[in-house]
Amino acid sequence: MPMIVGHVRGHSHILPDLDEHSKSHWFGRLDSRAKIVGIFSFVVVCALLTKVELITASLVLAVAIAAASGAPVRSLAKAYAAAFPFMLLASVSVFLFAGIERGLEMLGRTSACVIALLALASGTGTFGLFAGLRRLRVPATISTLLMLTYRYILVVSEEFFRMRTARKARGFGGGRSLLDKYALNTISFTAGTVLVRATARADRVYEALRCRGFSGDITVWRTSSLGRSDLVFMAVLLLSSGLLAAIQTGWVQW
Amino acid sequence: MHVPDGLMDPIVALVGTVEFLVVVAVALALSARKTGEKDLPRVAVLCAGIFVAQMLNFPIGGGTTGHLIGAALLAIMIGPTLAILGMTVVLIIQALMFGDGGVTALGLNGLNMAIIAPLVGWGVYNLVKPITKGLSRTGDSVAVGIAAWASVFVSAAACAAELAVSYAISDGAYGIAGAFAVPAMLGYHLVIGIGEAVITVGVIAYVSKVSPGALRRAAVTKSAKGWLSNITSSKVALASSAILLVFALALPLYFLYSSEGSDGLEQTMVDAEVEERDQILSAPFSYGESYFAALFAGLLGFLAVALVALGILKALGRGPAGN
Repeated sequence: MPMIVGHVRGHSHILPDLDEHSKSHWFGRLDSRAKIVGIFSFVVVCALLTKVELITASLVLAVAIAAASGAPVRSLAKAYAAAFPFMLLASVSVFLFAGIERGLEMLGRTSACVIALLALASGTGTFGLFAGLRRLRVPATISTLLMLTYRYILVVSEEFFRMRTARKARGFGGGRSLLDKYALNTISFTAGTVLVRATARADRVYEALRCRGFSGDITVWRTSSLGRSDLVFMAVLLLSSGLLAAIQTGWVQW
Repeated sequence: MHVPDGLMDPIVALVGTVEFLVVVAVALALSARKTGEKDLPRVAVLCAGIFVAQMLNFPIGGGTTGHLIGAALLAIMIGPTLAILGMTVVLIIQALMFGDGGVTALGLNGLNMAIIAPLVGWGVYNLVKPITKGLSRTGDSVAVGIAAWASVFVSAAACAAELAVSYAISDGAYGIAGAFAVPAMLGYHLVIGIGEAVITVGVIAYVSKVSPGALRRAAVTKSAKGWLSNITSSKVALASSAILLVFALALPLYFLYSSEGSDGLEQTMVDAEVEERDQILSAPFSYGESYFAALFAGLLGFLAVALVALGILKALGRGPAGN
């Protein structure tokens, strides 16, 4: 796996700082299993909340997690902005049918979930995250596919960006409508070339993997055990999620 | 079409997650028997290709753009079981690394885009292909186009239904009202589906011309004689079962919806404290509570009956092998 990580660094223009950053910060050094269990349980509870005070509290907690993760604010904001349109659409339609309060609740709830997940993604090395999933008993086929796919997304997208530049240099402007036959032809040829090159690469990838001893599963080389700080982090998140859930369901009176 | 966390009703999300996990487990078991270690890098690189192809925007008109989903494309290229796993992996990466989708919504997103979309795409392709066979090269393109359009439209319909059911059973705390969600999602994806169809046809035509080896469509081999092996080796029968599976997956949602809604008569009986006696025979389907629900149920029902009838006719007419 470190070998693959090394490869990814060579193609690191998409997520340049994050993997590096995650090694230097305390949040990044936490065991990925502790982070996955803690943040996933927080997100699950956040998705269940319907009371305004609790949604506000979860939003504050999510922002606090994001701040504590030390992930660069700009990259977090960029990722949040990319996920924002559908959340806004959902909130606006709820607002139209059920009133402004419900609309704001929806926006708060979805934001809390997205911010917590982005903090996890930005504050954890990508392959550490997938290795954590593997160690949490996610089937080998899925986790191996995750690692290989992510690694090749970086390679294939680099090729795609080059093709897009070349396309632009030849005067392609994106087309006007679905009736623009020329534009749709160009777009399908671009997608076709991406897939043809990807397939051509697949055999070479397999041979390279065989040379490294691949037999259908990528075993995690560097293992770690849950330390005190991992357990404290997980306990804090599990307790606060539990508390939010207990108040929401009425087991604990506010 | 990526649903974020916190939008859907928890019960709907739970139903979706259970269905998603069961189907992915079955796909894992089936693919483990058929594929070797050599296929993993191939599927992974193709998934990366699909992920990148999703970044391609196509113009719809009026300055708006849509983007490829690619589920039908992947299913036609590598078969339905591997396509389910591949799209699942793409969705997990989008949810975890890019905030597109979420943890609790992964089940529903997976159901719509990693299960329903490839199954419908592959199923419709294999059902329509024998009919359009007479048209030589264009026949295949027509089948690919219809399959790609259907995959987008049906998965958007599933997403709209989930939103509407969430809204109905949570009294507006979750989801989007059916009167808005169903026409908006279906109308938008009716057009997006056309773009998807045109691009998918173009891609398949391009790939089969430039690199025919890349289109290794799952070869079905007849291992033994007998009606069971005839059925399992018939693509038409398998495609019909794929479509039926999609409808089976939609049923729990429908029951969830119909169990919550009470019509005028029922409400009157409750008000008048009249108890309804147990029904001797209850129909599995009803026409829904509103105009859009009825329209939606009608459309899906028509599509289901048409496709299955087509499948049975083809299986009878062309012999059990179906190819």
